[in-house]
Formats: sequence, structure tokens, C-alpha cells
Amino acid sequence: MPLLKVENLRTTIRTRKGVAVPVDGVSFSLEAGQTLAMVGESGCGKSMTALSLLQLVPEPAGRIESGHVWFQDRDLLELTWEEMRPLRGREIAMIFQEPMTSLNPVHSVGQQLMEAMIVHGTAKGKEAQRRATESLDRVGVRPTAMKQYPHELSGGMRQRVMIAMALLNNPKLLIADEPTTALDVTVQAQILQLIRELQRETDMAVLLITHDLGTVAEVADHVAVMYAGQVVENAPVHELFSRPLHPYTQGLFASLPARARRGQDLATLEGRVPDSTDWPIACRFEKRCQYSFAACSAVPPKFQPAEAAHPSRCHLYDPEIERPMRGTPREEQEQAHALIEGGIAS
Amino acid sequence: MNSSSTPQATSTPTQSPENLVEVKNLVKEFGLRQGFLSRQQTNRVVHEVSFGVPKGRTLALVGESGSGKSTIGLMMMDLLEPTSGEIFLEGKPISKRRGKEKLALRRQMQIVFQDPYASLNARLTVREMLLEAYVTHSIGKNGAEREELAKNLLEDVGLSSTALDRYPHEFSGGQRQRIAIARALSVTPRFIVLDEPTSALDVSVQSQILNLLRRLQREHGLTYLFITHNLGVVDYFADEVAVMEKGRIVERGSTETIFDNPQQPYTRKLLDAVPSFNPNHRKLAPSR
Repeated sequence: MPLLKVENLRTTIRTRKGVAVPVDGVSFSLEAGQTLAMVGESGCGKSMTALSLLQLVPEPAGRIESGHVWFQDRDLLELTWEEMRPLRGREIAMIFQEPMTSLNPVHSVGQQLMEAMIVHGTAKGKEAQRRATESLDRVGVRPTAMKQYPHELSGGMRQRVMIAMALLNNPKLLIADEPTTALDVTVQAQILQLIRELQRETDMAVLLITHDLGTVAEVADHVAVMYAGQVVENAPVHELFSRPLHPYTQGLFASLPARARRGQDLATLEGRVPDSTDWPIACRFEKRCQYSFAACSAVPPKFQPAEAAHPSRCHLYDPEIERPMRGTPREEQEQAHALIEGGIAS
Repeated sequence: MNSSSTPQATSTPTQSPENLVEVKNLVKEFGLRQGFLSRQQTNRVVHEVSFGVPKGRTLALVGESGSGKSTIGLMMMDLLEPTSGEIFLEGKPISKRRGKEKLALRRQMQIVFQDPYASLNARLTVREMLLEAYVTHSIGKNGAEREELAKNLLEDVGLSSTALDRYPHEFSGGQRQRIAIARALSVTPRFIVLDEPTSALDVSVQSQILNLLRRLQREHGLTYLFITHNLGVVDYFADEVAVMEKGRIVERGSTETIFDNPQQPYTRKLLDAVPSFNPNHRKLAPSR
């Protein structure tokens, strides 16, 4: 049984323009010790999915309408706010892109780390202090940082502090929302490596939210590609990089700058993600898709083959949908594959 | 590529003719906390940096945050005064220009910043933004001509003329970056500093902006200084690369040479940290 199993999650937010549905029927699962990367452009619903798992959707405008979030043997959506408290930051920890806004500027690093244990009753006093220092040491931050304030640390150090805090109570699941996006590549590499090492030591599962396919290639075991509030493709990482199926995923790969594409224009995905208050009734990617045909604007594509290891939400792969004869996505796939084999960056 | 730019015979003997812009022994120091009776402390963020940007080409300035890349960009735009050293545009120093001379310089050199949300004036429509530049630099004879110029310019950067009456917040990130590029191009510069122009954008939008920058360079013979920490973009876009570490250029060469045969340990460290984009050849230790 997977550690985390999300079924048909649907989250809405009331806005001035109407009811937005940033998460619209999202399902995925994650095993202990594994990393699932959730990728997609801004506005696809990645972060809102993560917040929904912990019932941290902004209230009162936001509301989790339906679905299940099975964590171990409990449905988290059945739990009250009070019942969620012992889970958040203990069983399930979350780190965000900008550590400066998630750390408290008026408390020292040490106070904040110790608080994380005291509120959960996992340690107090000298013991809490010892474990906080130890946790900092584990992420490569010197013990003197205990007495420092967040603004005195660099961006990379702050993110390490966030990770140290997230890992204090040995969570079973770490949700990392763009943890390295604001960092230099050298620091990014260190942070990613650190998360992997800790994962190996503790068998923690990681839900990594990112828009960077390079990071995905480095650390993910599985990938869920999100578009317009839905998962449109789900595959083991090797599968996804060697054989991206959904035209959106193919478009993301084709738009990457690379040595092999010097002197040529990069592929672009014209247009933008549709408005979440008014999703198209059929395929949500249809307006931007080079393969679109009649059925795409009439029938919502099924996520299929649903039982296979690499499902995709696209009529191109549905044997029951008839489509006019034309070029197949295979050529694109082969090109993408050749490029990845040749190495995209450097 | 740069056939449209007519090289002027103004080069001094000290400057190689193919460089549009040259930087010589540039130093920038910022004062630190200055207490009463305590000696002024300075922090040197750019150390004796010298380099040239060849005409019609792209030089990428890469390095980690805090390495001094953006500080150099600002000094080259005359937006920040160097502590010492000099910047030459076609052999002529850019410092100590006043009045008309300074205005003429601004027409030659422009800058596009990372965050178009912050760099565009939120209170001006696109028309007002462009007209301001045209009027300041006496471009176009009258209102009608300027209106026409503005429309053509927007078309050139891939926006429709309906954008003229709108404010920056009405556009997406990619469109805003197009407006920032249009604003820079409005004065027909020859040299543009691009300071992380795609770092805030999604990859699908990044590719549109890179395509646009490439076409504009080709059509207008532009010379770019491309400041970025994204080495994937550099490998695709730049002709030459200068690697900065702690305020110094540690290595400089053609993009191929730097990427395929880096000489300095720091350059190697940077390149080693770039993700592989290939799950079969991970650079980080495999997890299990």
C-alpha cells in the first residue's frame, strides 16, 4: 500500500470572476522512500494541490470540495483542523520556495527549530537544543547559526535551515514546493543531494513540486505532469524522459534551450493556461496543441490506459477515439529522445 | 549579422576594432557601516575587471549570486558609478558625459531586467511609456509619426497594437518582458544588457523570449551582454562566456571552449552543478 494516495481531489476558490477550480480531479500515489515530481507551468495547480493535502487552502475563499487523501490508513480530508495539527510538521513536513517568508524574522534560528519539537512534544529543553544543533549539522549549517536570525543568513543557508526544521521530527512525507528555484545551481545541487541522502537514511517519501525538468531528471522516481488543474501524464522518470506522450509534456521538452538547438528557434507553446474559473469542457490543452482534431474540443479525454504504468490524458492514445490520418507524435518523441540522450545542458 | 551597424572610425589605438563595448580595470566598492569616529570600511564587489563585447555578438556573464554580474551591468549602463576604471563605447569613455552627450549615450545602450513586474512603471500605459522615450530622444517628428513607430515596434516584439492603451498589470509575465524589450528597443540602441531576462518565466515562455531576442539581434545587428546564472540558456544562446567568481572574471572564451574544456576549477564546479536532463546519467548520487 502506498504511503500517500490521492484520489479525485477537487479544490475550489471563490474569486471575483467566479469559482476557480485550480485542482480538478487530481489522483496520484507515492510510496515510502520514493520521490514523485509534480511538474507544469505556473497556474497549473501544483502548489494548490500540495496545500490541499495539508488542508492549508486559503480560507474562507478556498474549499476542498471532494476527493480522498489517504495517508497511511487515514483519509486526511476527514480530519478536523485540530486533528491535522499533530500531523503537520511531524508526520508530513513542507518546505517552500522562499525561506525568508516562511521563517519568522524576529526569532533566532535556534528558537524556531526548538519550537518545532516543543509544539509536537517530541523534545524539550536541552534535548531540543541538542537535536536542533544536530539537525543543522546534518544539513551543513554551523552550530553558531542557532543564535542567528534569518536575515543574517544567505538564501542557501536559509533553505538549509528550513530543511533542518522540516526533518527535525523525522517526517514520513516531505512536500517540497520549488525548494531550489531561488538558489544558485551550485547550492541547488547541494540541497538536492542532501534531500536524497536524508531520504535514503530515513525512507522518507518526497513530493517535489517544480517547473524545472533538470531537477526532475536528477532526483525523481516518478513524474506527474499537471496541466490546467489535472494530471495529464504520469510515468516513471525514465519513461517520461525517453517517451513523453502528452503533447503538453512534449512541448515542455521541445522548448528547452540546448547546445543542439543553437542557431535554431526553440519550440514554443503559444497561448497560455486557460482561466481556472472557466476550464474548457473537453481537452484543456486543445487550443495550444498542434495535433488537435474534432474530438479534442468535444469530448473530454480519458486518463488512459488507467491501469498501465504510463497513462496520459490525450485522445491520441485512445483507441476508441477516431481521428483523421496525419503525422504521429512519434517523430516528436524520437527527436526529444535523441536530444535527451545527447544531453540537453552542457 | 551586423551589416546594419556602420562602424565609426573613432577607435583609439588601445581598443580592438571589433569590440563595440570595452570595460577596462573596472572596480566597484561599496561602503559598509560607517560609525562615528570609526574608519570607513569598504567592500570590493568588482575587482579590476576588463573585457570587451564583440559587435553583433552575445557575451554571457555567468556566476553565482553575489559574484558582481549585475553590478557590472549597472555600471555599463552608467546607472552606477565605478570606483575606478572605465567603460568605452566605440572607443569613447562613457563616464563624465553630461547633458546632450549623456542623452546620446542612453540612446546607444539599454537594459532589460529580470523582473518586468518591477521594472515597468505601473502608472503608465504602454503608449505613454514609449512616447516618453520618443519625446526625450526627439524620435519621430510629430504625434502621428510616433504613434506609427510605437505600433510597428509592438508588432516587432510580437504584441498587437491594442496593447498600447493597457497598463503593465494587464499583461502576463512573458508579455511584460516583451514590453520591457520594446521599451529598450524604442530608442534604437546598439547595445543591450540583458540581466536575467528569462529567469522569472516558465520554460515555454522563456523559449518565446529567447527566439525574439535572437531575431532582434539578427535583424537590428544588436550586441548583447547576457547576464544569467542559467547555463542551459548560455549554451544555447551565447557566442562567448565570461565566468565571474567573487568580483573577478576567472575564465573567458567561446561558449564551446568554456563548456567542453573548462580550465578553471570554479568553472568546472559551476558546470558540474547543472542538472543533466537525463535520468540515466544523473550527476547527483543515485538514491537507491
